Amino acid sequence: MNVVIASSSIDGGIGCWDLQTGAEQLRYKTCASPPHGLASIGSSFLACSQLRDPSATSGHVLYWSWSKPQAQVKSFPAEPIKPIAANSEGSYIVGGGSSGDIYFWEVATGRLLKKWHAHYRAVTCLVFSEDDSLLISGSEDGCVRVWSLFMIFDDVRQQQASHLYEYSFTEHTLRVTDIAMGYGGGNAIIVSASEDRTCKVWSLSRGRLLRNVVFPSIIDAIAIDSGEHVFYAGGRDGKIYIAALNAESSPSNNYGLHIIGSLTDQRPVTCMAYSAEGNLLLSGSEDGMIRVWDMKTKNIVRMFRHSKGPVNNILIVRLSYPLNRSESKVQASSRRHEFSLHPPLEKYANSSDEDIDNKTIITLPDTIDLPSYLSSQLINDHIKQLQQQGSSAAAEMEVKRLKLDGQRSMEMFQQLKKVYDNLQEFCVNELLDGQPMDGSKGN
Amino acid sequence: MAKLDQFENMYDVGSKPPMLRNLIRHYLPAANHPRDLNTSCFELPKLVSVLQTHRLLSESDSHSVDPKLINAWKSAVDDWLGCLLSLLSSDMSDKCWVGICLLGVTCQECSNQRFLTSYSVWLDNLLSHIQPPSDSQLVKIASCTSLSDLLTRLARFFEVKKDANSLAGKLIQPVLKLLNEDNVEAVWEGAASLLYTLITFFPASIHHSYDKVEAAIASKILSGKFSTITLKKLGYCLALLPKSKGDKDSWSLMMQKILISINDHLNEAFQGVEEEAKYDEARRLLVTPGKDLPSPLGGHTSLEGGSYNRTSSERLPTATISTLMFCCCKMLTSSYPVQVSAPVRSILALVERLLRVDGSLPPTMLPFMTSLQRELMCSELPVLHAYSLELLIAVIKGMRRQLLPHSAYVVRVVTRYFKICALPELRIKLYSVIRMLLLSMGVGMAIYLAPDVIDNAFSDLNSPAGEDFEISPANTGPALLQPSNRKRKHGTKTGSMEKQGASPKVGESNTHQTTPITVKIAAVDSLELLLTVGAASKSDSWRSSIDSLLLRTAINSCKRGWGNVENNVFLPHEPASVWADFQLSSLRALLASFLAPARVRPPYLSQGLELFRRGKQEAGTTLAQFCGYALFSLEVLIHPRALPLDDFHPAYHNPTDGASNRFPENTYSGSQKQNSLFLSAAQRTEEGAIKSHDDDLYNKWLENENNAFKDMRDTSRPNDSSLANVLEVSEQEPAAANADLHMRGEDEIVVQPRRLEEPIPKSQEIVSANADTSRPAVGTNLEGGQIESKKVLSASDRLNDIDHDMLSGVDKANFDTVGRKTSSTLPNVEKGSSSMTHLESESSMDSFPNIVDADPDTDSDSD
Repeated sequence: MNVVIASSSIDGGIGCWDLQTGAEQLRYKTCASPPHGLASIGSSFLACSQLRDPSATSGHVLYWSWSKPQAQVKSFPAEPIKPIAANSEGSYIVGGGSSGDIYFWEVATGRLLKKWHAHYRAVTCLVFSEDDSLLISGSEDGCVRVWSLFMIFDDVRQQQASHLYEYSFTEHTLRVTDIAMGYGGGNAIIVSASEDRTCKVWSLSRGRLLRNVVFPSIIDAIAIDSGEHVFYAGGRDGKIYIAALNAESSPSNNYGLHIIGSLTDQRPVTCMAYSAEGNLLLSGSEDGMIRVWDMKTKNIVRMFRHSKGPVNNILIVRLSYPLNRSESKVQASSRRHEFSLHPPLEKYANSSDEDIDNKTIITLPDTIDLPSYLSSQLINDHIKQLQQQGSSAAAEMEVKRLKLDGQRSMEMFQQLKKVYDNLQEFCVNELLDGQPMDGSKGN
Repeated sequence: MAKLDQFENMYDVGSKPPMLRNLIRHYLPAANHPRDLNTSCFELPKLVSVLQTHRLLSESDSHSVDPKLINAWKSAVDDWLGCLLSLLSSDMSDKCWVGICLLGVTCQECSNQRFLTSYSVWLDNLLSHIQPPSDSQLVKIASCTSLSDLLTRLARFFEVKKDANSLAGKLIQPVLKLLNEDNVEAVWEGAASLLYTLITFFPASIHHSYDKVEAAIASKILSGKFSTITLKKLGYCLALLPKSKGDKDSWSLMMQKILISINDHLNEAFQGVEEEAKYDEARRLLVTPGKDLPSPLGGHTSLEGGSYNRTSSERLPTATISTLMFCCCKMLTSSYPVQVSAPVRSILALVERLLRVDGSLPPTMLPFMTSLQRELMCSELPVLHAYSLELLIAVIKGMRRQLLPHSAYVVRVVTRYFKICALPELRIKLYSVIRMLLLSMGVGMAIYLAPDVIDNAFSDLNSPAGEDFEISPANTGPALLQPSNRKRKHGTKTGSMEKQGASPKVGESNTHQTTPITVKIAAVDSLELLLTVGAASKSDSWRSSIDSLLLRTAINSCKRGWGNVENNVFLPHEPASVWADFQLSSLRALLASFLAPARVRPPYLSQGLELFRRGKQEAGTTLAQFCGYALFSLEVLIHPRALPLDDFHPAYHNPTDGASNRFPENTYSGSQKQNSLFLSAAQRTEEGAIKSHDDDLYNKWLENENNAFKDMRDTSRPNDSSLANVLEVSEQEPAAANADLHMRGEDEIVVQPRRLEEPIPKSQEIVSANADTSRPAVGTNLEGGQIESKKVLSASDRLNDIDHDMLSGVDKANFDTVGRKTSSTLPNVEKGSSSMTHLESESSMDSFPNIVDADPDTDSDSD
């Protein structure tokens, strides 16, 4: 079941709807999120960074289990965290701090595994690559950087390298507002949007700019069509622009080069999500509505009302089990994702407990390796054995062995016979010798 | 009855009851009738196959509901079971054995209803045969197997779960007794498979006797006396044992116990070839200081079990260690109901420790071992190394993405071992470790591993031997690990060479070490994966050499004709198909090298296509199937469907610059030589040159752009090239604000300054003109150039908001005026270049600077 979850910058909780039926599910309470602050951790629970007061020196991160409306775990990182992201397994959470640091936590233990200084200004968005081996971060200073997580964890190579990042794209002049990554592993494209009214398409393999698209308005949200035909850019002027990636674009149009067309939303678009299933585009806007567009007909097919304030996060999450209100069922079916086990995220990296350091909490692979019926195979095996015992080769060996045994027995017999003969001779001699003596005595 | 006998054909249900009765009559020995077993028992497999093919015991058929028929069938099966049960109670062990085996088959084949009504009776009956009064091995083994089949069937019925659990509980004690008191290996094997079924399907039943089971299995493993298969079965049971408790701690405890036991064995075995410090280090990772040591595995002090083994001979307790490592592997890769905490660091440390020991003596140590001991150890080491690589694979599988914090360590262990590993089996395994890493960790890992994979694959694939003659079995078998053989690589002579000297072609290759084909397959497969995962990222340095290597490999593999995939009846499996495997692998890798993302068109495409075409003609083989697929997927490469996304690629940018990549010396003089007369021809030739180098993608693009070029005429060329120049510079130093400066800098470095003096200033002029006035202007009139310049500008000097405002706010009129401005500059340039060409026809290149001086002047004048 695919659900849409959305949060807002003013406290409206996290709304949750079934994408197919439009039915509203649980609403998770007390959540006011910054942009890119909402994440589904491996589809097993929800996490959202919180920032109530922009001037506060600390924020916090909340966890919700899918089945309960109340937040269950509250973490207090060392500084306000705005964007968060999790890898596809849900084993790690990364958070971007307002100082430009990136924090890397392990979900199962809550340990802060790494922290590194990534940008000069606050981190605004974080995206994992398809295979979770790269992390892309955008910042207020206009910089987009690509991090290889292997480098982050390899102290030896870090010393040899001049910088931590794989690529640093500095062509944006203002705050980066959104980043989306395409398909194709190492050959993928990255699309970034910025307040400088451009979206830039980068090549991950070549590490450079491929295309620059200038928009009439600031773009706050982007989503890539899964065939990478086009990408969608949601602007502050209330339009969703369709920009060409692999599509033909005629140079003469109303908006500018590479922009093919637009959908008109009335209010500024603040966030978007694309669902490949059904070719749907979801856009959240400042009036608190989430509009579902059918991209084939370019019509709105459904609307969800989230709150009065601007919606700034939309996610589409695929759940393996239905979100029933009856909690016992959910818990039974999600036994593997034991929610209560997850400790809060740690504030500092402390490796005092070496034992924990050496261990990793893992979910073992779900392999199915069941016994099968063996009897008929056993019959064949045993019969084969029996036949082999009766076969000529075995018999030959057996005969040889028996012959050898017989020979040995014969020898033994000869020896014993010899002993017996000696003994008899001795006794006979004794008797014969003794009798004359007796006889002589008697005589 | 008589009616039933008249069935129509073999599919007729009516045929089944009589068929079953017939079987009973002919094949089953009667319990009380002393019949010669030997003749009938050899027929048993046939009996079973008839039973299974015709499903004679199923008692149900979708087509027929004739009650008469059903009754007849039911009574036939009743007879069958009666017969079996009477056999089971026979005193003669051979008859008993037949009964037990067939009861096992019946458990698998009979109808649900019958199974549910009688399974408990059958279970009791079978159970009695694994308990003391029975003394025949065969009977015990058969009972274990039949019981296991019964449980397997029973596990499918959820409605009797509770009953089944309690019945399963009854089995534990007798099984333990078999393990503890019996002394025949085959019986343990049977007991182990029964135990495996019990743990898998009814884990709760073991809960109460957990410790006893652990002790029984551990004592067998620690004694290390039995065949590998038996030990592996027992080891698997031990690995699954924590499932019966199903909590986090029992898994961790079992893992810790096993690791401690392995370490203890290694400490003893490696005395003298390893520094003492290793022992403490391993221990420290395993047992946190200040925490209690867990009780030893199975309650034995681990060495107590192994010690008698060691006193009798001086060999390594390899069997024990490898079984325990197998246990670890299985624990890491089998499912478990809850999350567990795995001691990754200690497992990896164990792997590293084992891989480091190569039988050489550490320099600081006094000779502690006798040479005999060392020789024995060296002969056993490859097995241990193979198991540690297996363990590494299991860790990668079990940890998946969570290996990340340890990945650097793993990579270092692997690459270090790659340098010293010389045995074919181990290299094959090592390649599979590499593949696992690439698969599970993705692009980031590919960037790291690429250099090592390539080095090793190169040396393995380039050694000529394997391609030229058949490998002899002696070559693939595990050889003794000789210390002198340690440094693999070419140039070292090895003993195995003599064997192959007989083959005709070897004369010149005698100095090279041979590489078995199996290793080559592993190497090619790894290259293929490297290409599919990591070809896009930072592959420039190695890409072309790998492409040519793979083509060579593929051609070599195919030049002897096509391998036969079907097994030759006269040969054991491997040698028959190994050549076909190699061909398939090398062709797959070739396809990957064509399809993997690259900046240039695959250089060997035509040769590759030819290979695939030839392969496709071998109809009916896997190879042909693959070649067909390859041709199909290459079609997209030849006729690309997507438009290029890249607006800034120099090669697509303009012909001049494209050419400059290939002929760096001539670039600028080339562009200067063109005048208005020669332009069209020159353009054509240049396009032609490009065509041969780039794919249709480019041509398509070019077609769109051609008009633009015509409009711009030749004057647009220097303009274009200079823009391209700017672009390249800005790519390298994006922060740069002033394009001119950089251009000059680059030119000075790349091209000879004297020749270039002329174009530089000119292009400078044009660029600056553009930058000042005509940013969007170039855009409207000239389709191609316009796109370019706009891009370039936004890339070169960092645009700020105002720029964009201007861009979006600009109107048509503005465009036009600016357009006129630029075009007014163009004739001047044209003049300059044409005059230059006139001169050029008379004088040598040296005269260039003279003319050139005029160019900037005219330009600036016009401005």
